[in-house]
Amino acid sequence: MDSNRADFTQDIEIAKDFLSNYADLNGDAKYIALLQDVANRKTKAIEIDIEDLFNYKDLDEEFVRRVTENTKRYIGIFAEAIDGLMPDPTEAFPDDDHDILMTQRTEEEPDGSEKVDSKQRMPPEIKRFYEVYIKASTKVQPFTIREVKASNIGQLVKLAGIVTRCSDVKPLMQVAVYTCEECGFEIYQEVTARVFMPLFECPSSRCRINNAKGNLILQLRASKFLKFQEAKMQELAEHVPKGHIPRTMSVHLKGELTRKVAPGDVVELSGIFLPIPYTGFKAMRAGLVADTYLEVMSVSHFKKKYEDYELEGDEEEKIARLAEDGDIYNKLSRSLAPEIYGHEDIKKALLLLLVGAPHRTLKDGMKIRGDLHICLMGDPGVAKSQLLKHIINVAPRGVYTTGKGSSGVGLTAAVQRDPVTNEMVLEGGALVLADMGICAIDEFDKMDDSDRTAIHEVMEQQTVSIAKAGITTSLNARTAVLAAANPAWGRYDMRRTPAENINLPPALLSRFDLMWLILDRADMDTDLELARHVVYVHQNKESPALGFTPLEPSLLRAYISAARKVSPSVPRELEEYIATAYSSIRQEEARSNTPHSYTTIRTLLSILRISAALARLRFSETVAQSDVDEALRLMQMSKFSLYSDDRQKSGLDAISDIYSILRDEAARTNKMDVSYGHALNWISRKGYSEAQLKECLEEYAALNVWQIHPNTFDIRFIDA
Amino acid sequence: MVGREYDLIGNPVGAVRSTFEKAMRAGEPPFLVDGKDWGATHSIPILDRTTLPHLQPNTLVRYRGMIQDMLGNEFYVGAHKDGGTWTTNKFTDVSHLPSEALSDSRIWERRLLYCVPVPGQNIWAETYSDFVTSPCLNNTSPHGEKRQREDCADMDIQASDQDFQDSTCMKKMRENMHSSQLCPKERISEGSTSNSDMVPNFDIKSLPCVVKIYDTPESELKLNDVIEFVGLLTFDPKLAADDDTFDELSDGLCEDALIHLPPSKVPRLHCIVHQKLTSHDFLSGSLILEPKSSMVKGVRESLLGHLTSVLGNDELAAHFMLLHLLSGVHTRVGLVAVGKLSLNLTCFNKEILTVFGNRIKAAVANLVPFTMCMPLTIDHLNSVSLAPSKDYNTNRLVPGLLQLTEGTHLTVDETQLQTGTLNSVGVENIRLLKILLESQKVDYDFKYYKMEMEADTQVLILSEGKSNILPADVILPFRPQPPRVSDCVDMEALKAWRCYLATFRSLQHSIDSEMQKRVEDDLVAARQANRSLGSSDFSRLLTMGRLVSMSFGETCLSLEHWQMVKELERLRCERSNQ
Repeated sequence: MDSNRADFTQDIEIAKDFLSNYADLNGDAKYIALLQDVANRKTKAIEIDIEDLFNYKDLDEEFVRRVTENTKRYIGIFAEAIDGLMPDPTEAFPDDDHDILMTQRTEEEPDGSEKVDSKQRMPPEIKRFYEVYIKASTKVQPFTIREVKASNIGQLVKLAGIVTRCSDVKPLMQVAVYTCEECGFEIYQEVTARVFMPLFECPSSRCRINNAKGNLILQLRASKFLKFQEAKMQELAEHVPKGHIPRTMSVHLKGELTRKVAPGDVVELSGIFLPIPYTGFKAMRAGLVADTYLEVMSVSHFKKKYEDYELEGDEEEKIARLAEDGDIYNKLSRSLAPEIYGHEDIKKALLLLLVGAPHRTLKDGMKIRGDLHICLMGDPGVAKSQLLKHIINVAPRGVYTTGKGSSGVGLTAAVQRDPVTNEMVLEGGALVLADMGICAIDEFDKMDDSDRTAIHEVMEQQTVSIAKAGITTSLNARTAVLAAANPAWGRYDMRRTPAENINLPPALLSRFDLMWLILDRADMDTDLELARHVVYVHQNKESPALGFTPLEPSLLRAYISAARKVSPSVPRELEEYIATAYSSIRQEEARSNTPHSYTTIRTLLSILRISAALARLRFSETVAQSDVDEALRLMQMSKFSLYSDDRQKSGLDAISDIYSILRDEAARTNKMDVSYGHALNWISRKGYSEAQLKECLEEYAALNVWQIHPNTFDIRFIDA
Repeated sequence: MVGREYDLIGNPVGAVRSTFEKAMRAGEPPFLVDGKDWGATHSIPILDRTTLPHLQPNTLVRYRGMIQDMLGNEFYVGAHKDGGTWTTNKFTDVSHLPSEALSDSRIWERRLLYCVPVPGQNIWAETYSDFVTSPCLNNTSPHGEKRQREDCADMDIQASDQDFQDSTCMKKMRENMHSSQLCPKERISEGSTSNSDMVPNFDIKSLPCVVKIYDTPESELKLNDVIEFVGLLTFDPKLAADDDTFDELSDGLCEDALIHLPPSKVPRLHCIVHQKLTSHDFLSGSLILEPKSSMVKGVRESLLGHLTSVLGNDELAAHFMLLHLLSGVHTRVGLVAVGKLSLNLTCFNKEILTVFGNRIKAAVANLVPFTMCMPLTIDHLNSVSLAPSKDYNTNRLVPGLLQLTEGTHLTVDETQLQTGTLNSVGVENIRLLKILLESQKVDYDFKYYKMEMEADTQVLILSEGKSNILPADVILPFRPQPPRVSDCVDMEALKAWRCYLATFRSLQHSIDSEMQKRVEDDLVAARQANRSLGSSDFSRLLTMGRLVSMSFGETCLSLEHWQMVKELERLRCERSNQ
């Protein structure tokens, strides 16, 4: 026992040395500065980072180990060390009651004539106006609640979980102060547990000698209280093994840490895992079972936004390696919902939706959204919902809802009466909850009319305005909308026009940057593919190999968050190019007698957004021409998915169409030579593939319309 | 207690032999006891509602139940030093030493599982111990009046009805809890009389039990598993007395789930050995069916005959019913549950329902160990909670009707559905049923998030038209003839059927490559002919192929059986299009 004591005095010295000499990366004495702030009553919490202890050169690891394994005791040791180090305040501050009491006490105390007994000695706790916390290292992986074992008792642990319940903040007595009616002494009683037995008889030596049994009166003003809050934390769904129930743990928050958490928060806590032995009757019933709790030392909220996403460990390196790989666009898009076969272009579009473009605020305060909106439309059973759900899983902040299934709050927001306080409260719906994230709305066509009108505002202005029950306000809803809808008659009806099939008003449709129709078409090859897949699944009890290894969702998320930090701009030389592309789409539309699309200025913005998102994927600060071409291609593909039948009707097959595109382009530029790269750009913008281009080149070369360079495939028109 | 005629420690081989001989004398053929313990555990008294009053505390008992909730870890003073000697508290609830005298102690941990009798367990599947129960003793039972226990069971079901907000006002909450536990109980007990088959004798026979698990890997025991636990029953009347005296000092969040489970109503079992049970373990008989034997064919024929007569001579329906009863999820690939075959019998009008509804239910209940029935009415959908949900006030998982163990059969009677409005609960319930049918999963509601739990439930839907709410795998119009009145079932045959179903449900099965090619071609051809066929239809046909060949005890799909599947499918389509 005595050797222990000696150890601790030694450790106090170590702690003092650490506090006064520790210098952070900038060479500042971090803790001395902190102590000065405390002395000046600017702050109350002294947070000692284990990380700093590790880095402190003069400390042996043994000390750090002792601190992590017997944390509660070392908080006391650090507090004692701080008592000795506390500098005088350098700034004047108004004395409060507590200070006045303290001055009086210190004046009375040093009479020294009679040896004061323990109950009369002022406990150091009452003098302290600060709280000491020891924070676990940020580098270690947090535990799940399941992993905390009996061997962790008394240790500093770091846990991740969701807060499910919180109690009110209550005062917790730390030092009870009594005055004796007989002798007039102040008697102190330190309280370490949540429950204590008050003193009734004066224990002072005078009363004892006189056998006066002085009556003690509890002095609430003089006693020291601590703010105290109890909360319950539960494991996160992703940490629970299959077939198990999430575990819960009580956590105790004291002092400055109270009111830091609310139910529903996903938090990472570091704290001391401690048992509370049951007392009294409960102990008998429970059979010496110890209840356990976590005395919280630090609280950090999980970041759910891309902007705050912190890269872990080797992720940075992995991302750098990925970025160097030229094929990142395909690689990432294929890794989205890898179990859903095909739909490459849709996945590419969804990837761009995750990446988004930077928001722009113009000088006059007008905002231009950067979020891409995508609508998937298609026959039932083409895995629309699964795509939606997968995207939500990848996005750090995503809300999945159905147009009809959302609760009374709906998609936007509702004013509701709080059942407890009877006050009107504003409750955000799915779109508001998805602020700075992605909102996936399934069954978009079956949405309530009220929500549908509100969604117009959300999709362009990115706010939800509400004027109900005396509350007029506007909530932010900066969210990318990913909608899925069924055709008007459940199944896509080929005999009707696309506009009839798509049962959504044009005003809403024009707000989507991309719109995709997924049809279930008759095709021998796909049928065989499907049959093979199903038989394979039944036979081998697993999905067929994908032919590539999809990236981990976490890595995907990390890459996207890194990409989102880039804010690309359009270089001056590309402006002309985009403008021409836009005007040609407009003209094309004007020429056609049945325009399907509503090419407006919104389309131009969409092109810019998609291009910017593509540039972000390359971590490039400027948008390249290839980005614009890909953006135009995607838009064209999305249109083709809707109107491909018309293309067939127009009488031109793909090959002749490609030829006419190339001829027109050559005529426009007044050149006889067209490089292969350019040709590919032009035709891909119109939604044709490279294979089709090659076919066309060969066919027309055979007709002696043009010559093809054998190596580069560049085209030279033969003048007729 | 039952005296042991053999000495396990002195003569272990003899003990094993003597149990084996005893089993042989009981007429079990040697091959079926492979890997069994020949009933050695059967001499341990079983713990249930009827035997509880007669069991002595701190004796060895056996408990069969489903893990309904996991109460987490319990830290206890595992060993402590008392005046120089170390003593342990393992396998006990209460320390026999005053707690103040602790000088040195070690804290150990154990896991708490809350187990309930398997929901929907049929009477024939219940186990009785050799323990003699005399009814007269019941009245003088030492602990617990009967009424009190019923309350407890009621409360377990009811707790779901309390949807408190997360109020921080604890005191108010507690008051709330008391009142809300009282009122819905009244309401439900009224309700349960009208649809009494919904909660099958839950509150009468059921005895929940808190099982304390020591030193077992977490992965061994999963939620909704049916387990036989052998361990110590602990019960202390002294502790039972203070049921209601909640600790006033625990003013914060009343975290201890055990407070709501007083030991007088929920016994504690300290588990020593546990074993996962399959439906085979619920068969009382001693019959085993070797795959590929001629006997299998005979049993199959007789079962098919029985089903045909139950279904009013509708042979096609009987065939599908047989496949349906053999179905079960055997793999999950991505989002698809492979192996399920839910059946929707349509054309149930009032008349047919009155004749056949209960016949079908009874027949199913006689064949599989766990069955549930659910009448689908607007009121029921709007009020009942199908999915289990977490109650953070009591820190318990409130059971829902869909918290079922693997292989439970669920009959949904849609014929009683009238037009009406669903509230948000109803919409959620419909969604849950749909997910159950589509992917055999149930979303457990943890308020802040939902957890998907895998299920394996055979769902039979009786409806008038094709059920649009519940998308079943097979939809078959039911064409019965008026039944013959007398169809009494031979007990022996019944046993054989049960054993047949239990055995072949879990048979391994494969398709060889030649057959695979043929199947693929057939599927493509079918899709070319009918565009509306999708991957789910392909999946269904393959499942049917598997089930047909399994029903013959075969482990490999043969051409003959594949032809049979196609024929069945053709007949079904024909009937649907009529």
